[in-house]
Amino acid sequence: MPRNKFHGLKRPKLRQSWSKYNLYNFTKVGTPPAANKTFFQQKWVAKSMTRGYHNPQIKEKHWTRMFDRRLPAVVPMDYRYLAENDGSEMALGRGSGLEKAEEGRERKKQKTPYMNMAFHPLERRLDTAIWRALFASSTKQARQFVVHGAVRVNGKKMIYPGYQLNPGDMFSVEPEQVLFATGAKKRRKDSPKSLQDVRDLKEEQRALAMEREQERQEQEDSDAGAATLESDEEREAMSGRPEDQDDPKKALRSLMIRAQKILDDSKRKLSGKRQQELRQFSRSIKKTMSKLRGIEEANVEDTIDGLESGLAEILTKIPQDEVPREVRLDTAEAAEKRDEANNVPEEPQPTEPAISRQTGKVDEYRARKDAELLHAALARANENPIDSSKPYATPWKPREFMSAFAFIPRYLEVNQNVCSAVYLRHPVARPGLAEVPSPFHGETLGLAFNWYLRRR
Amino acid sequence: MWAWLNGPGKAFRDPLPSSTNYLSAYDKSGNLLRTRQDSAPRRQRSESAEAELDEDEDDIQKRELESGASEEEVRKGADLRALRRREREELEARGGIPKERVGDMRPYPLNQQFRSQPVLSEDLREKIYELVVLDRLDLKSVSATFGVDIRRVAAVVRLKSLEKQWMEEGKKLAKPYNDAVMAMLPQTPYQEGRTPQVHESINDLPVHPYTRQQMFIPASESRAYTREDAAKAFHPTLLPADKRIPHPELIQIAKWELAGHDRDTRQRMMREKDAEAAAKRAEKERRQADYEARTQVVVKGRRWDFKFEDVSAETVGKDGRGRHTVGLRYGMPLEDRKRGQIKIPTSVE
Repeated sequence: MPRNKFHGLKRPKLRQSWSKYNLYNFTKVGTPPAANKTFFQQKWVAKSMTRGYHNPQIKEKHWTRMFDRRLPAVVPMDYRYLAENDGSEMALGRGSGLEKAEEGRERKKQKTPYMNMAFHPLERRLDTAIWRALFASSTKQARQFVVHGAVRVNGKKMIYPGYQLNPGDMFSVEPEQVLFATGAKKRRKDSPKSLQDVRDLKEEQRALAMEREQERQEQEDSDAGAATLESDEEREAMSGRPEDQDDPKKALRSLMIRAQKILDDSKRKLSGKRQQELRQFSRSIKKTMSKLRGIEEANVEDTIDGLESGLAEILTKIPQDEVPREVRLDTAEAAEKRDEANNVPEEPQPTEPAISRQTGKVDEYRARKDAELLHAALARANENPIDSSKPYATPWKPREFMSAFAFIPRYLEVNQNVCSAVYLRHPVARPGLAEVPSPFHGETLGLAFNWYLRRR
Repeated sequence: MWAWLNGPGKAFRDPLPSSTNYLSAYDKSGNLLRTRQDSAPRRQRSESAEAELDEDEDDIQKRELESGASEEEVRKGADLRALRRREREELEARGGIPKERVGDMRPYPLNQQFRSQPVLSEDLREKIYELVVLDRLDLKSVSATFGVDIRRVAAVVRLKSLEKQWMEEGKKLAKPYNDAVMAMLPQTPYQEGRTPQVHESINDLPVHPYTRQQMFIPASESRAYTREDAAKAFHPTLLPADKRIPHPELIQIAKWELAGHDRDTRQRMMREKDAEAAAKRAEKERRQADYEARTQVVVKGRRWDFKFEDVSAETVGKDGRGRHTVGLRYGMPLEDRKRGQIKIPTSVE
C-alpha cells in the first residue's frame, strides 16, 4: 500500500476516503485517453487506477485469487406481467413476439452494467462495508477500527478487517469511534472547538468587517449597533462554555443563544410560520429572563443543572389552568385540554380590571411557553453536549466535505442511532444500475476486468 | 487545489439543507445545476399564474363558473392549483432549492451507472417495526405493502429492536450523528394515510448461471412454448421465473383477480393457501425429526450434545474426495496450527 502521497495531487489516485484532497482529485481525474495506447497499455492504466481505489492495501496476488469473472445480476420482474402471460407470447408472430402497434414511443430497454461489478468481491470485506455504512471516514480508518477491537459482528468481537460478510450479518461499531471518525476535528486538545468553527468565525468576521466598511462609506452617522451586538453575543455564547460563566443571567443568555442555534439546526423541516415563531423566540426569552429573576431570585444557581431545575420549577409554578382561554385555544396543545375549557362558563364582557388580569395571565402563559421551549432546547443540548474531553469537536457536527460522499448502497441496511448495519445481500447489477460504488467510468472498469481475466 | 476548495468546492464543505450534495449536482464553477433558469422551466411561469395561487380558491372558482367554464374544467383547474400550491410550499420548505433530479444523485460524476438511492426514513422504519413486532404481521406482507425487500424488513426489525434495547438500558444513542447523516441522504418517506411510496423492486429475479448461455431449441409453431419449458431447456432442475421470485404469491393473487374473483374471495383463497403451505412445512419438519430420531444417537455432553450417525464409506467417490463425505482427506498435512497462519472465520453465529 502506498504510504506516502496517498492523496497526491500531481499524479492523482482516487481513494476510498472523505478527504478534501480526494474530493479535489475526483474533479480532476477523468477517463484515460486510449487513442495512442495499445490494448495492453489501456488495461494496465485502467487496472492501476481502479486498484488504487478498490482496497489497495490488499496484495495483488490475494486480489487476483478473490476476483470472480461471474458477475451477479438481477432482473426486476413485474408480477402482473407474469400473471397475464405465460411466456408463449414471446414466440408469437414471426417468432419473436407480436410487433408493437406504436413504434418509437417505447422507452429503450436499459442494459445491465456488468462491467461496473468488476470489484464486487471486495464489497464483502468488513472494513469496506463499515466505510460504506458511513461509520468511518476511509477504509483505512475502518480497518483500524476493526483491528483495534471496536467492531462486532453478530455481537462478537471481530478483529479481521478481511472478514467476508455473509448475507444477514450485523456489524456494529462503537458509537464513540463513529462520532470521532465522522465528526469535525478538534483544533486543540483542551478546547471543544473545531477547526471548522474557527474558520467559519473568521470568515464571518471578515464578511462583517466588509459590511461595516460599506456601511461606513454609505453613511457616517449610522448605528450598526443592533445587528453586530447580537452577533457578538452569539459568538461569545458559542465560544465560552456556559459552566465557565459566573453570572447566572449571563450564563442563561449564552445558553439561550446556543439553544437558539440548536433549534436553528432543525429549521429545515419546519414550515415558514414555525420559523417565524422561532425567530421571535430569542426576543421573547429576554422577557422570560426578567420574569425568571422576579420569580425566584434565590433559586437561580450558576450551573446548567441549577438553570434546568429552575426551569422545571417555573414549569410547575405556572400551571396550565391559569392560561386564558383564547390563548389556549390557538395553541396546539389546547386540543387535549379543550374539554376542561368547555366546562368553564361563558364569561361576560370583560371590564377593565378583568382585561388587565387577562393580560397578566397571557404574560405568564408566554413565560411558560418560553420556558418550555428553552427546556426542549436544553434537552437537545444534553443530547449533544459540549465536552472538551471528547476526541472530537463538541457539540458534535459532521466533518467538512462529508456530504459529497454520503450515500448508503442498497445492499446495506443501516441504523445510525446504534451505529449498526446489516449486510443484506451481495451487491448486484440490475438494468441501468450497478450497486458497487465505484468512481470510474464503465469503460475503465471493463478494461480492468479484462486485465484480471487473463490466464483465466 | 486551494483555489478550488475556496471557490467551487466551497459548496461541499457543509451539507446542503434537506438535500443531497453530490459532485454531479454542480457545474464546474460551483453553481447548483437545478437552480439555473434554463433547467427549471417551472419557475418561468407567468406572474399572473403565481398571483392566482395567492387568491382565495372559492373566488377563482366562482369567477370561472361565471365566465362559462364547465364544472369539470373548474374542478380540474382547482386540482391543478392545489398541486401547484403544495409544490410551492414544498419548495419554500426546502429554502427555495428545487428537489434533486436523477442526474443530481450521482456521487461519482464519471460513473453513470451508479446512483445514490433513497434509504428508509426513520418514520417508515418505526412503522415497519410496529407492524411486525406489535401487530405480528408477517415479513412478506409488510414487504409487499411498502415495497421493501423482505431481507430489509427483517434487518430493520432487528436493528430497531437493538435500538429499543439500548433505550431501555439507558445507553446513549448516537442521535446527533443520526440526524446529520439522515439529513444528507435521500429518503423514502412514510406518509400516514397515503399509498406507500415504493422503496425498491421486491421481485428481483437473480440471473442464474444456467441461463447465461445462448441456445437454439427447435419447437413447432403450434406449440405454446412457456417460461416453464424455457427453464427446462436451460436445465432440468431450473425452476421458471414465476417460482424463483421472492413473492410468487403476488402472481397468484393477480391471476385470481384476472379470473374475476372479488377481493374477499381472493383473501379467503390466499388464507387457505397459506394454511396449506404451513401444514406442509410442519409435516416436513415432523418427518425430518422422525428421520433424525431413527438414525441418530444423541449423547448429552457437558456443553454440547454428541450426535452419532452411520455413514457409508462408499460415498467418497472414485478419487476418495467426494464433496459430501465425512473424514479427513489424506495427502496434505493441515497447516492451521503453524505460526503465522491466519484463520479468518468464514461465518459468525
